[in-house]
Amino acid sequence: MAGLPRRIIKETQRLMAEPVPGISAVPDEQNARYFHVVVAGPEGSPFEGGVFKLELFLPEEYPMSAPKVRFMTKIYHPNIDKLGRICLDILKDKWSPALQIRTVLLSIQALLSAPNPDDPLANDVAELWKVNEAEAIRNAREWTRTYAMGNI
Amino acid sequence: MHCRSRILASKIDPHLTPSAGGHINCVRNHKERFCTKVWTKQEKKSTMSNNDNESDVEYSETEECGYDDYYNPCNDADNETMNQKKCDPEHFEFECLTVDQVDRLLNELVETLSSRLRLTPSLSKLLLHAHNWALDSVIRMYLEDSSQLLVQSKLKPEKPPVVKTLSKTLVCPICIMMLPKDVFCGIGCSHLFCKGCWNTYLETQVMHGVSTATECMGCSVMATEDFVLPLLATPQLKERYVRHAFSDYVRSHPELRFCPGPNCNIIIRAKENKSKRIVCNSCKTTFCFRCGSDYHAPTDCETIRHWLTKCADDSETANYISAHTKVCPKCQICIEKNGGCNHMQCYGCKHDFCWMCLGDWKTHGSEYYRCSRYEENPNVANESSHARAKEALKKYLHYFERWENHAKSLRLEEQTLQRIRERIQCKVMTGTDGTWIDWQCLLDAAALLARCRYTLQYTYPYAYYMDAGPRKELFEYQQAQLEAEIENLSWKVERAETTDRGDLGIQMDVCEKRRTTLLQDFLES
Repeated sequence: MAGLPRRIIKETQRLMAEPVPGISAVPDEQNARYFHVVVAGPEGSPFEGGVFKLELFLPEEYPMSAPKVRFMTKIYHPNIDKLGRICLDILKDKWSPALQIRTVLLSIQALLSAPNPDDPLANDVAELWKVNEAEAIRNAREWTRTYAMGNI
Repeated sequence: MHCRSRILASKIDPHLTPSAGGHINCVRNHKERFCTKVWTKQEKKSTMSNNDNESDVEYSETEECGYDDYYNPCNDADNETMNQKKCDPEHFEFECLTVDQVDRLLNELVETLSSRLRLTPSLSKLLLHAHNWALDSVIRMYLEDSSQLLVQSKLKPEKPPVVKTLSKTLVCPICIMMLPKDVFCGIGCSHLFCKGCWNTYLETQVMHGVSTATECMGCSVMATEDFVLPLLATPQLKERYVRHAFSDYVRSHPELRFCPGPNCNIIIRAKENKSKRIVCNSCKTTFCFRCGSDYHAPTDCETIRHWLTKCADDSETANYISAHTKVCPKCQICIEKNGGCNHMQCYGCKHDFCWMCLGDWKTHGSEYYRCSRYEENPNVANESSHARAKEALKKYLHYFERWENHAKSLRLEEQTLQRIRERIQCKVMTGTDGTWIDWQCLLDAAALLARCRYTLQYTYPYAYYMDAGPRKELFEYQQAQLEAEIENLSWKVERAETTDRGDLGIQMDVCEKRRTTLLQDFLES
């Protein structure tokens, strides 16, 4: 792709040279703005042992507007809906051009470790997470086993 | 959900649910118009006197004589205007300002602050904006601890900025370009970015409507207009920034509120932030100063919001049930009301009845008007949850029906006015019954009628959320009184055949007194 901004080139180079532990982000061969992302479920979370596929796209205005990120693997999480859309402030109104792909992916990893049912996207999941956390965590483990293991 | 409510509702009163198409057709065929009969003066008088005979004589006497003393304690001619402020519960002092006037007003505050504290005007502006334009308290806080105030207001970084390097070039963290040091700038925190990146960032912010809330790209320190404006490339962008910033300033100022009228640029200024009536002097929109929505006395902002949400949720069902038609209680003919007061006379059987309660009209002449009152079922606590749900729906429908009925009447107001104008035209042209000037009082009466109906409409949400008790009884009593007087006025306005201004004037006065009394007693002060 012609005219890829220096910023994107530099970020991609750094992601490849010093990858974030537990996360891999590889640009698509055809489109340097589209990344295939794989995030490992953080240790100690109900997603542990799972491997989650995501897609990340850098829009034309990047870095003035936030990257678009979506889970491709089904996940039982109060801030991620069934289409894989993520409720994360830095992807919306708290985006700043000083943030990077790296920081976004780290935030998503942190969100898996610490779900926030008070700011829900998937209402039914959030409800259960608040009312009966043990059962919600069981569900999340179950989904991780069903959808996020051995699929890659 | 809808289905369930519908079943419940039809169990309550099957008559209200139009079940067969035939009924609806009936409406067209037998459109009973309560105004169809032309009442002559004699007939009207005889009806009135009939009612009088039935009613308590003492009651009507107290109405005529005791009123002025009781309801108008400050009637002294000397200080009437002065006391009007105290007497009128709806009185509210406000002024309608233009954008320029408000601009001047805000600038005066900014200048005072910047000269007192030796700050730049643009910093003073943001400081005042962050503290709702409370000049005195900003000055006090600044003198106590200027640094803490600026940090708290996000106008200064928590730690003083670190000047990093002495080299002539820097790498911009946004575009990763190595550039000469002099193209870098920042808001006063330690974050420096190249001008090109600032340009694009600020343009994006302005295009998204962000102005006073513009932050540094690296932290949350706020950008002042002195910083933003020179970095915006085009005059259009600058203008847009200034416009958005102005709106933000008005919104943060507790004494100011934009007129909600479409395309109206007037800004209302009032000293107190109360839910009082504002009438814009430019576009004539009437609204509540506190919440900006339609004026809603005696109900408060919170309650009316609950009520309107509730109506929006339930209105489909309720609409279906009331469905614009009712059946005549005597001959069961289906009737659609398209205007006028609640005294109906059936086209078919000539039965006189009340549109609200479908009771015989004769019972409304004596005692007080009872059909604005909702009778709570005292056994409700003992009944099953199903019955309670039914009761709750019934209660809601009771209030909603009355609310909607007045709203409907108000919507028909333009037609009523048109009819009155035509009648005046007709009277004046035939030349027997007074001149055009003589008839103008009818239009005043119609305006008053609309005002009373409006207040009355908003008493129903108030009553709905009120707890049972003596206060509610008093409220419903006054509400019923107002209902009754309005019906009388409506009757008189529709049937005025002569320029008997005395009679009409008394009725108008009574209505307005009833309305003010109700507001005086129940409008939150």
